Amino acid sequence: MSLQHYLVISAILFSLGIFAVLTRKNAISILMGIELILNSCNLNFVAFSRFVTPSENIVGSEVFRLDGQIIAIFGIVLAAAEAAVFLAIILAIYREFGSIRPDKVDTLKG
Amino acid sequence: MVVTLIGIILLCPLAAFAIFALFGLAKRSFPRQDLLSTAAMLVALVCSFILLREVVPDPEPHTVDWISIGKITFSMGFYLDSVTVIMLIVVTLVSSLVHIFSIGYMHGDPRYPRFFAYLSLFSFSMLFLVVSDNLLGIYIGWELVGLCSYLLIGFWFEKDSAANACKKAFLTTRVGDIGMFIGMMMLFAKFKTLSLYDGSENGIFTLVEGLSGTGDMIWLSIAGVLIFCGAVGKSAQVPLHTWLPDAMEGPTPVSALIHAATMVAAGVYLTARMFPILTPGSSLVIAYVGGITALVAATIAIVRFDIKRVLAYSTVSQLGYMMLAIGAGSYVAGLFHLTTHAFFKALLFLGSGSVIHAFHAMHAHHNDEHTNGEEHEHDDHSLVHEHGSEIPPDQDMRNMGGLRRKMPLTFITMLIATLSISGVPFIFSGFWSKDAILGGVLGRAMEWNSVHHYLLFGMALCAAGITAFYMFRLIFMTFFGEPRNQEMHDMAHESLWVMVVPLLVLAILSLPVVNKLWFNKDYIIRPDQPHVHAPQHAYVSPDTKTGDVDFGIVFFGISEAEAAEDEGGQDIGHADDAHHAAHELAHNIAMVLSIIVAGLGILLSWLFYHRRRFSAESVATKFSPVYNLFWNKYYFDEFYDGVLVALTVWKSRLFAKFDLSVVDGIVNGVATIVRQIFAAFIGFFDNRVVDGIVNRVAEVTWAAGGRIRRIQTGAIQTYLFVVLGGIVLIILIFRAL
Repeated sequence: MSLQHYLVISAILFSLGIFAVLTRKNAISILMGIELILNSCNLNFVAFSRFVTPSENIVGSEVFRLDGQIIAIFGIVLAAAEAAVFLAIILAIYREFGSIRPDKVDTLKG
Repeated sequence: MVVTLIGIILLCPLAAFAIFALFGLAKRSFPRQDLLSTAAMLVALVCSFILLREVVPDPEPHTVDWISIGKITFSMGFYLDSVTVIMLIVVTLVSSLVHIFSIGYMHGDPRYPRFFAYLSLFSFSMLFLVVSDNLLGIYIGWELVGLCSYLLIGFWFEKDSAANACKKAFLTTRVGDIGMFIGMMMLFAKFKTLSLYDGSENGIFTLVEGLSGTGDMIWLSIAGVLIFCGAVGKSAQVPLHTWLPDAMEGPTPVSALIHAATMVAAGVYLTARMFPILTPGSSLVIAYVGGITALVAATIAIVRFDIKRVLAYSTVSQLGYMMLAIGAGSYVAGLFHLTTHAFFKALLFLGSGSVIHAFHAMHAHHNDEHTNGEEHEHDDHSLVHEHGSEIPPDQDMRNMGGLRRKMPLTFITMLIATLSISGVPFIFSGFWSKDAILGGVLGRAMEWNSVHHYLLFGMALCAAGITAFYMFRLIFMTFFGEPRNQEMHDMAHESLWVMVVPLLVLAILSLPVVNKLWFNKDYIIRPDQPHVHAPQHAYVSPDTKTGDVDFGIVFFGISEAEAAEDEGGQDIGHADDAHHAAHELAHNIAMVLSIIVAGLGILLSWLFYHRRRFSAESVATKFSPVYNLFWNKYYFDEFYDGVLVALTVWKSRLFAKFDLSVVDGIVNGVATIVRQIFAAFIGFFDNRVVDGIVNRVAEVTWAAGGRIRRIQTGAIQTYLFVVLGGIVLIILIFRAL
């Protein structure tokens, strides 16, 4: 498996996510799309870290840098936190408007 | 040492006032302000005596620079010579006694502490004036003294008459002060300094010597006369004398302090201080003003019935004497009379205060409602006048009589003062000083063969006789004869000891023997007058330094022969001998004449007012025009009221009219023009242009907003779509690049 495979999968995931975000009427579905986007990014980080970052030679043994992987973990944590906040907002919106369809929430409409 | 002593002398009274002021800020009053002020004055008195013993004469200047403006520096400092020290002693001594007297006299007054605070401030001002070595310092003290006199004369300001009197005193003296200020500025313009002596060559007195024969005499004369104007105001000389009798509205101790011993003496002191710059011209003016004042005031005093007014006019008259002496070149005699007069006139005022106090207690007791009613009647806003009906009953000599048994100590002390002021020979100080003046004037007349000085001598002699007459009239009417008002007489009593003790001290000081203890004949040295020379036809050379009465000699009563011997031993030369001979002759003549006129005055007074051999009323009716002239005080007040005040009021009305019509007219006209033309134009501009711009901008914004707001759909997915489109666009653009 080369870097291209990963990038293709990541691109597919990203596109699916964007599609979901733009087209779904249900806020939960939009959240799922956002999660897809985030995960595609994480996949990119890990792939680039694995294939692009050169290994270093420290005290005679080959060592891989794990920056990308670590950022991916951060991304997962971020996604979890974001999901919690998002769901709380959805809940509040539901209480306020009686619906979780974002196109109904248009109080700021000009 | 000197500076410390002067500092103590100045700061003690100032501190007493400052304590009053500080407590005043806290709306409290110091519990024993009277004792505080009195103690401060006593300390100053002791320091003055130490100063006299230790440091006279002290030619060292004690000067510090005060203000620098460009190249000109004003300095402040002390100058101590014999005159300063004598004035210090006179001021502190009289002030201390007046403080003590006031403890009794002012007791129970609602503003009792304030009175003492004012007395302290007054003493400070006077002392500051005396020790200053430059005209600026003197002027500061001068104005402070004026302020304090205003406060003290108007101390009982509930009375309209007192309120008017203090305003009158302030304004009248201010007229003279303007002259003094102009004179000062003339000297300043010429010499670029206001220091009198500053140790170097730059004092006015040093510089003035250099002017001899440079044609600046007229200029210097004018400056001298202008500075003398200040003294005319402060020392109540004709024609600015009218404030002093009215100032008797103040409490009697104030009259004693201000109008007998110190403030009015400031004018004489100033004239004496400026002695070196006086020219023959300005000297003659001073002498004539003095002589006329002496005569005018004495004649007015004859017909007064208010005991304090008699003393007031007598003060004016005696001050005229001193001015006459200084103007005639008898510097020492003038200052000598200033000293003796300070003591016996303070004594007379305090004695009259004692009499008034004796009556006043009764008066307040019986006639409380009556006085209140009377005050309302006095609702007169013009200048204060004395009319027969307005004399307070407790000051009217027609209510007195026979008091010598009731108030023996007051009687004896006042008699001593009266004998002194009348010039009764040999054992009373007034005789020696008055004789010194008369002898000095006659001596100058004989020496210069000058008609003016003979005339002045005549005036002085007349005034001396009249003085003896009216002073004994006062004594006879007050203390002798039968009581005229039995009710008041019964209530009269001798005053408290705090009031009698100062009287006794002053009575002792009116005897020349006592003064021997602190006076030394070498104290007063007459300064040179570089511009005064005897006229060409005079028969002696003008050695002016010794051409004067010797202060110490007359003061101690050393015989004339001894005096001549004393001086003859030092002066060699025929001219000086002739000079001395002339002066000795003049003194002998003057002494004999003055004894004669004093005796005549007393005799006449005795015949009129004690034996009643002649009736004063019939003489008054026989010479009614003259009597009316005296009674109406030569119509000075009427003149000022009718001419000066009326002119001022007329001028004010004129200006008011000018203001109302012309100035207001211009202002209103301008306002109309502005309103009609400018305002219309600006209003048009505002309405059309400025508002137009603002409205157009608003409309455009409004319309744009109406269109643009449709972009905001509120649907998040639309936004996201746009964002995505934007990103794709950006990516495509970057790819294209």
